[in-house]
Amino acid sequence: MTDTSIDSKEDQVFLNGSSYLTEFKPVFFDWTAAIIIAKKNLRLAIRYPANVLIWGILPVVWFAPFILMATAIAGPETSVYFTELSGFDNYITFSIIGWFVIMFLDNSIWGIGNNFRWEQFSGTLEPLFMAPVPRVSLLLGAAFSDSIQAVFQTSMLLGISTVIFGSRYVLTQILPIAIIMLVMIIALYGFGFMVAGLIIVFKDPSVLTELVSEVTWMISPVQYPLAALPSPVRFAAYLIPTTLAIVTIRELAITGIMNVVSFLTALCGLGLIAILFWTIGLGSFRYAVRWSRERGHMGGF
Amino acid sequence: MTEIKRSAIFERMWKREGFRAELRAANALAIKQWKVEFSYPLSVLWFIVMPILWFIPLLITGTAVSGGAESTYLQGLVGTGDWLSYVAIGSAYAGLSISMMWGTGFALRREQNVGTLETLMTTPMGKGTLVWGSTLHNLQHGGLGVILQLCGSVLIFGVQLNIWGILPALGVVALSIIAMQGLVFTIVCVILLAKQAWMVVELLSSVLFLVAPMSYPIAVLPPALQYISVASPLTWSVEGFRGFLMEGIGSSLVLNAVGALIVLDVVFLVLGVLMFRYTERYVRMKGALSQF
Repeated sequence: MTDTSIDSKEDQVFLNGSSYLTEFKPVFFDWTAAIIIAKKNLRLAIRYPANVLIWGILPVVWFAPFILMATAIAGPETSVYFTELSGFDNYITFSIIGWFVIMFLDNSIWGIGNNFRWEQFSGTLEPLFMAPVPRVSLLLGAAFSDSIQAVFQTSMLLGISTVIFGSRYVLTQILPIAIIMLVMIIALYGFGFMVAGLIIVFKDPSVLTELVSEVTWMISPVQYPLAALPSPVRFAAYLIPTTLAIVTIRELAITGIMNVVSFLTALCGLGLIAILFWTIGLGSFRYAVRWSRERGHMGGF
Repeated sequence: MTEIKRSAIFERMWKREGFRAELRAANALAIKQWKVEFSYPLSVLWFIVMPILWFIPLLITGTAVSGGAESTYLQGLVGTGDWLSYVAIGSAYAGLSISMMWGTGFALRREQNVGTLETLMTTPMGKGTLVWGSTLHNLQHGGLGVILQLCGSVLIFGVQLNIWGILPALGVVALSIIAMQGLVFTIVCVILLAKQAWMVVELLSSVLFLVAPMSYPIAVLPPALQYISVASPLTWSVEGFRGFLMEGIGSSLVLNAVGALIVLDVVFLVLGVLMFRYTERYVRMKGALSQF
């Protein structure tokens, strides 16, 4: 009797599954799958709470050397040259905003971009790719969970930096800052998709991710103003979603002055970058998956 | 291959002993790691551009705050106003340290991830040789990085080096490796015990790099961090290396750095080796070698 009931249960599950498969129609996007992946990734992240904590603290240790170097070269006060170049009279306050925003870029590269590589290391990539859901949904699910973690980590970074360095920001501009951040995060998803495609083809995440991460970081105005970069590099910097966000958020959070025209210009610019990166990102990701599957390369290291 | 030949090789393997045998094993491990790295084409590109990519943000930041190639404030702190050379040489050394700490520290973990750790542990070589082999590879890897960055800094950015200091600077690197090996053994212990220990290593190495005078003198650190800095071999390695390459062999400060490094070599290596021996035995006793 027991055996029969187990069989019938298994049969039921099998029948449900097969009816899902027989009625299955390809869709462009599956929200349920995305949310399930996001929840799964968040559950994994919660299992290692120290990881989340450490990512809030580490950026402080990373940007402190730049502040110390600036102090060793220009003295404890912010130099006149820097003020003329950037328009800001406090180097520390200036840098913290840069790091606060760039953490989202870092997350999109290491988190979204490498998501399938982590699945591969855990041995779950091929089962995931056999699931009858669009792969983009899986990637976007990973992106959601990464964004939630990034918000937590950057809030910690801002809190710790404020306490250690005594930096103060204008909180009245929080709404426009949130709007800019939201559009930037959407644009970064497209950027993350592109990196994910590259990693599926080239595999080795440590090298490719480091390369993309270092280059984008180098040309982003995190530690220095855009004016410190050569003109062609400055143009390339504007193609990175975080650049416009860093420049706008600095203005809003440090000066507290909202210039509607420049805000809307930045918002439109970010919107265009988002469309551009989503188009390139989705295209390259799909191409990479197809390329990899045709060569039986998907599970290879 | 006949059965007799195979058995002769097997017997020779078990009879192998002595320093030369361990050196050969370490060399084989270093070559194996090069082969792994070069099987990823992007690794080669990264290896070439990485040293310069790390230096450029420091260069732009320095220019953005100083507005020129000289700093009067730095002159007051360390006796040289040439911040570009000061930062370039200090940060070049960072590449070697990072390669040693991360590359070697995680060598056993990498073997575990690819499923070869237990096989390696059952081979008739000293357990420490596994770590020394990785050190040898990372020394070659990081050392080439230092050469690339310094050559790039001299040719592209006009950094000035004192050629008489090159040989003594290599001596500092040799002394530094001994103390660094002690640190690496400590990292290996943390990894063997905690498995997913990247965050401990990341935190440890980040703090060590923060207190090391790579791109600033320790005088700008808060007093508490200055004490940690003085006890770190990385501090004296960088001071000695940069001192020789900037000032040649005439500086008394450089000799102080060498003296401090010799003392720290003994302390760190003895502690590191003892910790590794104890941890490796403990992990094997617990049967936790292959656990993730």
